[in-house]
Amino acid sequence: MSAVPRLSGNPAGGTHAPLPLPGSLVEAEVAESVGWLIRLRWFAGLGVLVITLAIPPIFAVRVSTAPLLAIGLGILTYNLVFFLLERRYKTAAAAQPAYLRLTLWQVTLDWLAMSLLIHYSGGIESPAIFFFLFHIVIASIFSPRRIAFAFTLLAVILLTSIALLEYAGWLPHEPVTGLLKEPLYTNPLYVAGWLLFFNSTALIVAYLATTISERLRRREEEVVRLTHDLQRASARLQALNDSARSISSTLDLSQVLNRLVKDTAEVMGVRACSIRLLDKSGKRLEPAATWGLSREYLEKGPIELESNPLAREVMAGKIVNVPDAKRSPLLQYPAWAEKEGIASMLSAPLVGKNCTLGILRAYSEERNHFTPDDENFLAAIAAQGSIAIENALAYQAMENLDATKSAFVRMVTHELRSPVSVTRSLLRTITAGYAGELTPQQRDILERAGRRIEVLQKLVDDLLDLAAGKVELSDTKAVEVIDLRQAVARVVNRYTVPAEEKSLTLELRDETQGAPLPVHATAEGLDRAFNNLVSNAVKYTPPGGQVTVTLRQEGGQAVCEVADTGIGIPEDALARLFEEFYRAPNARELEREGTGLGLTIVKDTITRFGGQVSVESELGKGSRFTVTLPLAGEGESASPLRAASASPLPGGEGD
Amino acid sequence: MDPKKILLVDDDPDQRLTMRLPLEAAGYAVFEAVSLTEGLDKVKEVKPDLIILDVMMDTMTSGFQFALEVHSQNPNSEYRQFKDVPILMLTAIHSTTPLRFGADEDYLPVDEFLDKPVDPEVLLAKVRQRLG
Repeated sequence: MSAVPRLSGNPAGGTHAPLPLPGSLVEAEVAESVGWLIRLRWFAGLGVLVITLAIPPIFAVRVSTAPLLAIGLGILTYNLVFFLLERRYKTAAAAQPAYLRLTLWQVTLDWLAMSLLIHYSGGIESPAIFFFLFHIVIASIFSPRRIAFAFTLLAVILLTSIALLEYAGWLPHEPVTGLLKEPLYTNPLYVAGWLLFFNSTALIVAYLATTISERLRRREEEVVRLTHDLQRASARLQALNDSARSISSTLDLSQVLNRLVKDTAEVMGVRACSIRLLDKSGKRLEPAATWGLSREYLEKGPIELESNPLAREVMAGKIVNVPDAKRSPLLQYPAWAEKEGIASMLSAPLVGKNCTLGILRAYSEERNHFTPDDENFLAAIAAQGSIAIENALAYQAMENLDATKSAFVRMVTHELRSPVSVTRSLLRTITAGYAGELTPQQRDILERAGRRIEVLQKLVDDLLDLAAGKVELSDTKAVEVIDLRQAVARVVNRYTVPAEEKSLTLELRDETQGAPLPVHATAEGLDRAFNNLVSNAVKYTPPGGQVTVTLRQEGGQAVCEVADTGIGIPEDALARLFEEFYRAPNARELEREGTGLGLTIVKDTITRFGGQVSVESELGKGSRFTVTLPLAGEGESASPLRAASASPLPGGEGD
Repeated sequence: MDPKKILLVDDDPDQRLTMRLPLEAAGYAVFEAVSLTEGLDKVKEVKPDLIILDVMMDTMTSGFQFALEVHSQNPNSEYRQFKDVPILMLTAIHSTTPLRFGADEDYLPVDEFLDKPVDPEVLLAKVRQRLG
């Protein structure tokens, strides 16, 4: 039961989409059956030769040796031709029709050879006559029913003709002499009985064999179809899995939506897919992403829940299959669908945690395209997609909130800064004597006011820096490739004079041997970070001390160290050093005023650029802050927003 | 000899006052403008020897535009006679304007930055350095 060549149209038929049977499988089987027949025929041909030569002497009978040998040789000859043809087909990977022609030719020639064999071995007296039955069986297996019956009928006609012609004497009788005592071919009763029983046997065998083989064939087709279905289901699962992974790999809403529609259309093998999301009013669905639809179709008009029964049903949580868009009463814009070439559509709700978010819809150009399988599949995609969409929405909301907050802080501090700054200037103008003489007491009071204002100014500035950093965070475009050496040198220059005034040695040690240190950052951010580090070092180092800023390259990293011989940081303060508003106790002692935001800003900023900040310190001896930033161009891993995972170096200031 | 003329372009009257007092005390003639357009008019009218400019007036960059205009390298500029008049630009220490880091870039049309809040001594020192 190996071979199932499909000669006619798809017998499975039905409403199912025509299943492209895995061609290689069927072809392999046809090829195999052809090969099998050829192998058997070698034995048949040789058998004829051997029997013709061996039987007569053994059993003392006489046969028409020459024609029988000719038939045997004939079989072997045409089998050789088939053998060569088959070999050629195999190497040329011939298509199915070529193999089928080969099979039909084989059967035809076999039957002619068989008829001749019977004629030359005694006509209806021939013992070889039963061989015809297995020929019928073979034909029934290898050809469709009609052809099998045609061959059987041919056999019936051939044998009946031989019988009748020999009976009438129009065809010479070629008996196996010595087999029968009296000839049977001239016995009218025998001939009639023989014809009746042989022919009916032949037809019944053909009927049984074709029926059984047809059943087997159908079964086998079913197996092939199931295999195919399974393969498809497995491919879909794989695709669903891939799509889930790809969708959840981003938190960007539009990316999530675009991937979802594209993946859905591809995985379901349909023309188009769209996502519409419920707008804020809760009454209208807005297109959020599409794949494979024209702009005109998308802009056909708003989908109002009120006037769109399909949308209403889906939003109520149902999966709705519209098998024939032209005739569906559910559609709001049936004419548009027709114009777009959409014949059927399948819609699934995107169900969020608290509400239905919108609709995921697949479109096909074929009527009745979507099966219950597809419905389940789309529902699975929609369920997965909903989670990703909700995550992205939540992330977006969070980002918006953060941006709003930062913008607010920025705005407020901006508004605060200007009056604070001007007040300070005004006070200085007075204390400097430009507005007339002051009594010592007045001067003292104004100087106190000035110092308080100064603290306020610093706080506002730091808050603004912090807010600015957060605002920039959502605007990655601001990040560019900057030479760390230049940014650091600029800051160090700025502190040359203050350091001198304090009798400190401020040294910039460039150990890069002139090689630039390109990093992904913003000029403002780097300046802010290093300004804080250098100003701290200058501030907390007593006169006569040393502040050393070192630049070097280490592996794929740009490293900048700011080391001082200052007051140092107590061990228990190290852990909290980068917290907002935290100040080490000895720093507070030395300088009463300070916001405790400086190092938070440093860490925030450096982390944002994909770098790390660490600190080592010994109380009373000094501190060393080390900033490492990935060098730009050192592989793609140097993404500036790799931020989240950045963790402090040993030095262990915690988080 | 006539006193040197200084034009203050700043929309904040208090800020202008804090600069006007020390500058006048030092013997300079001080003129004021509260906006970009008034500033440009006053440049032609007053013919200042030095301009002090607030980086941010009506918009974030109008100070910058003003400076570009006055220091234009275009020989047909209506301000070509002023292209060598020094401009001091007032900036906030922590400001994140695009100008903040440009002090050492060639194309910048200002001569010096002046941090806010303005210290009268620093202001006078910088002005004297430019005007002698």
